[in-house]
Amino acid sequence: MAEEEQQERLVYVCDGGDCSEKGSVELYERLKEKLEAKDPDLERVKLRKYPCFGGCDCGINITVWPDRIFYSKVTDADLDEIAGHLEGEREPVERLRGHVEQDVEEIIWQLLDSPY
Amino acid sequence: MQHTNVDLDAKIPNNVDLKSDKRLQRALEHWLPQYLEWWKDMGPADKFNENDVYLRTAVGVGKGGWAHFDYVKMPDYRWGIFLAEPVDRTIHFGDNIGKPIWNEVPGEMRNRLRRLIVTQADTEPASVEQQRLLGRTAPSLADMRSLFQVNVEEGRHLWAMVYLLHTFFGSDGRDEAEELLQRRSGNADKPRILQAFNQPIETWVDFFCFTTFTDRDGKYQLASLAESGFDPLARSTQFMLTEEAYHMQTGENGIGRIAHRTAELLREGTDPRSVGAIPLELLQKYINFWFSASMDLFGGEDSTNAAESFASGLKGRYREGDGIYKDPKALGQDYTIDVVEGGRLVEKQVPLRRAMNALLLDAYIADCTRIVARWNRDLAKLDCNFEFVLPSKRFNRNQGVYAQFRFTPEGELIDEATWQRDSGAWLPTKEDRDYVASCMKPVYEPGKYANWIAPHTQGVNDTPLDFQYVKFH
Repeated sequence: MAEEEQQERLVYVCDGGDCSEKGSVELYERLKEKLEAKDPDLERVKLRKYPCFGGCDCGINITVWPDRIFYSKVTDADLDEIAGHLEGEREPVERLRGHVEQDVEEIIWQLLDSPY
Repeated sequence: MQHTNVDLDAKIPNNVDLKSDKRLQRALEHWLPQYLEWWKDMGPADKFNENDVYLRTAVGVGKGGWAHFDYVKMPDYRWGIFLAEPVDRTIHFGDNIGKPIWNEVPGEMRNRLRRLIVTQADTEPASVEQQRLLGRTAPSLADMRSLFQVNVEEGRHLWAMVYLLHTFFGSDGRDEAEELLQRRSGNADKPRILQAFNQPIETWVDFFCFTTFTDRDGKYQLASLAESGFDPLARSTQFMLTEEAYHMQTGENGIGRIAHRTAELLREGTDPRSVGAIPLELLQKYINFWFSASMDLFGGEDSTNAAESFASGLKGRYREGDGIYKDPKALGQDYTIDVVEGGRLVEKQVPLRRAMNALLLDAYIADCTRIVARWNRDLAKLDCNFEFVLPSKRFNRNQGVYAQFRFTPEGELIDEATWQRDSGAWLPTKEDRDYVASCMKPVYEPGKYANWIAPHTQGVNDTPLDFQYVKFH
């Protein structure tokens, strides 16, 4: 993917009750380390924790905006590919998408697509 | 105010370098026995303060764990003052955008800021007072532990706010801190500031609704204060949000477990009332009540106060710092509110800044919608075709643009006579409350649960479900 196509991304890692019990807080730190290895000041990716998307059965959940990508069932083994996608080096990780109901996805997109 | 080293051995655990400010340290150490006296009078009733409770205590704010679990008697809980770690930032919204954050209170904002802090602070002891009798009817030891965890952490949140009052508001702040211990939830002469915090929490159904819906209002208020240009407030509330997440999870899971149990009974053909469980229709009434009462806490949908707090940089929008809004100054756009005019609903455009409470309420409603959908998914898995529904934001409101009117749960405008005739079908009646109260029988045996609620699916901090979460003496 060409660099000029990259856009700043906002990435939320769920740290709600279920996801954090599955290790989302630690996973957040490892994803942060991977991203910082290539982008020390995280200028291309804003990485944030988010208090529950409602897709608890499918955690650990991560959202990527404005791409509107909802990753679920994320483990450490997926982080290199996710980081690669966020760095614009590869396509989204399709196997991690489409696990939660559409209405769960829509709630977070409604917030992020605020008309204001 | 930039220190983050944690002093856990101090009389008041803190990461604000309290020992370097002897005047402040003395003032807070003077407030401590008053606080403990309040806890003894208005905290958990009976002899629960004498029991050893397996509690989480905050011990820091950084990476690598911020809390530890151990048995503690609640009066010995280490209520501390913890601010989130500082970050290099400037004010990121409103008219002061781009200017340095404040580590002292700007003079012209003193009264507004103090009111924001006192209003938030007042909710913390209020909820402890509201819940003080619930230990008597805990449906399990694990639930009792959750109740007490919520209680002690609300107490810690009071400490966080009192620290701000003492540190930044001089004698006025000290007076406010004392008054926080003098008001009483539900007291006619000296009530708590916000009405939802004067409602009695008589049963565990109320408690779980409160922690689902009312504590969630707290989440959104804290989140908007966490954006504040007044950095000590932002960092205090950021850390409070960490603890508050458990409170909301307690409620969300609690209502879910009640519904789960009832759906199990329905699947086996048992009338929930015949075995002292909670019918889903009754649970819906409690949801209607607490959701609508909690929406009132957001304040008027069209508010010049909210506009000024945003403009000055004191209170931002939800997740403002993530850059999700198109205009961080919120100028040049309108927000549409449905209002009643001439006996019907019409759309009214208000400047976006004046609609900050309404915007925050929208985010809250979306969050609550997510929760209800989760409960409904669980019901469907149990072959139950009942679906919980959130009432309209116009239903049963006592604050804001709908307060003078009556609406159905679907949001249809109705007259007073219709309300008087039908509201018993939408909100808990005395008979409903009496029935729910009759179900509240204590279960104190480890691993056992009352018949009206499903067990937890896992224990706190990897403990087994039959863990002795509370040791009675």
